[in-house]
Amino acid sequence: MLTIALPKGRIASETIEIFKEVFKKDFDFADRKLILQSEDFRFLLVRNQDVPTYVYHQAADIGVVGLDVLEEQGLDLVRVLDLKIGRCRVCIGIKESEELDLNKPSLKVATKSVNIARNFFAQRAIPVEIIKLYGSIELAPLVGLADMIVDIVETGETMKQNGLKPALTILESSAYLVANKNSFYSKKDEILSLYESLSTAVESRN
Amino acid sequence: MIYEHEIPKDARLYFGSGAKLKRDIEKSASEVFYRYGYEEIVTPLFSYHQHGAVEDTRELVRVSDEENKEIALRADSTIDVIKIITKRLGNTTDHKRWFYIQPVFRYPTKEFYQIGAELLGSSKTDEVLGLALEIFEILSLKPVLQISNIKIPKLLQERYQVPLSVLKSVNVEYLSKEVGGWVESLLYLKSPEQITDLCEEVPSDISDELLKIKELCDSVSYEKIVVAPLFYAKMRYYEDLFFRFFESNLELCLGGEYMADSMEAAGFALYTDNIIEILQKG
Repeated sequence: MLTIALPKGRIASETIEIFKEVFKKDFDFADRKLILQSEDFRFLLVRNQDVPTYVYHQAADIGVVGLDVLEEQGLDLVRVLDLKIGRCRVCIGIKESEELDLNKPSLKVATKSVNIARNFFAQRAIPVEIIKLYGSIELAPLVGLADMIVDIVETGETMKQNGLKPALTILESSAYLVANKNSFYSKKDEILSLYESLSTAVESRN
Repeated sequence: MIYEHEIPKDARLYFGSGAKLKRDIEKSASEVFYRYGYEEIVTPLFSYHQHGAVEDTRELVRVSDEENKEIALRADSTIDVIKIITKRLGNTTDHKRWFYIQPVFRYPTKEFYQIGAELLGSSKTDEVLGLALEIFEILSLKPVLQISNIKIPKLLQERYQVPLSVLKSVNVEYLSKEVGGWVESLLYLKSPEQITDLCEEVPSDISDELLKIKELCDSVSYEKIVVAPLFYAKMRYYEDLFFRFFESNLELCLGGEYMADSMEAAGFALYTDNIIEILQKG
């Protein structure tokens, strides 16, 4: 029996679709239920950013989570498979009228992804002040809170509607299947067998 | 504001049945050690030599001596045990089997109780593994025993161009699709019985290391063994055969072979706090 943490929303639905295809069974969460028990799997519906925590603490053996969340949190997990769903980019966004200039003596960067942003600028020895925000990141450059933002871009439409543009891609992200290290070693056969089945399904879908 | 009853974060407090359990575990372990000729050593809490004891020196709890030289609270017992036995007691004892029961400390206020054994002058990992198994048996615990060899991931990185980041995160997809071949077989390897067949498939430098794993597995009679040849963890001193006991998400013991001042040695540390947590859960 494997417990699988799924992030609420579109990635959960798409992952469930892949499981349906692979195992020829219906895996549907009943209304508002957070646990779905089937013969071989127990699915948990959790918030996107909480998936690594559930897996790291072994409340779930495996989980599905965006690479951007994995990189941001940096927890020690087994990286099993790129499911090639939930694709997005982590980008630097600036005002549409401006050009990206990383040579200014001081830069203010607003972001939810503090660690990704800090690592990116630190690797390039660019001194920045990181301003942590929890939402509406696009607002920051418009009201003078920051010179630029580091944010997730799917189509670029949100930035565009707010007078911003993606200027540089920091990370290409998609949803990954990850595993707890102890679960991986103690349930290796189950997890590798699931990897094989899902890998074949992902390849045929792409 | 600090309350009158407050204790620092991650500090340990045992009382009543928890403290008794801790004492019972330590008593059981010490009886096993004495039976096999191990002598106890208690090393100073303050140490000049802890820089090699942790991955990141920021983990050290630092203070100063009377000349303002840096001292750290003991962050790991092995390094001081070895230094004291080889450098300080070297002329007065030729005893090679030692055990310790003492806590280690990490910044800012983390405490970990440990029980450890060190066998100097010999890389008999099977002997120290046997001791650990006997202690677990007395405690009625049957954790998973993982046996690895840190030389295998090192060889894969140095001679076979497998990126370290892939080994660190056990990137299954990369190991299976990008590398493939015998490296993929190593990924799937689980039981010691599979090693002999696999040795025909892998290069000789890898098969030599795999056979060491098999030899160690064969030296013990234990059901819950998992062979993990690709397991990589940056160890402070274990660079060869390596074993790890875990139960659910808790690590209960780490041990293996290492070099101590150019002397072969083998040892392990039991994580008393995690053992107590498992035993209290029943």
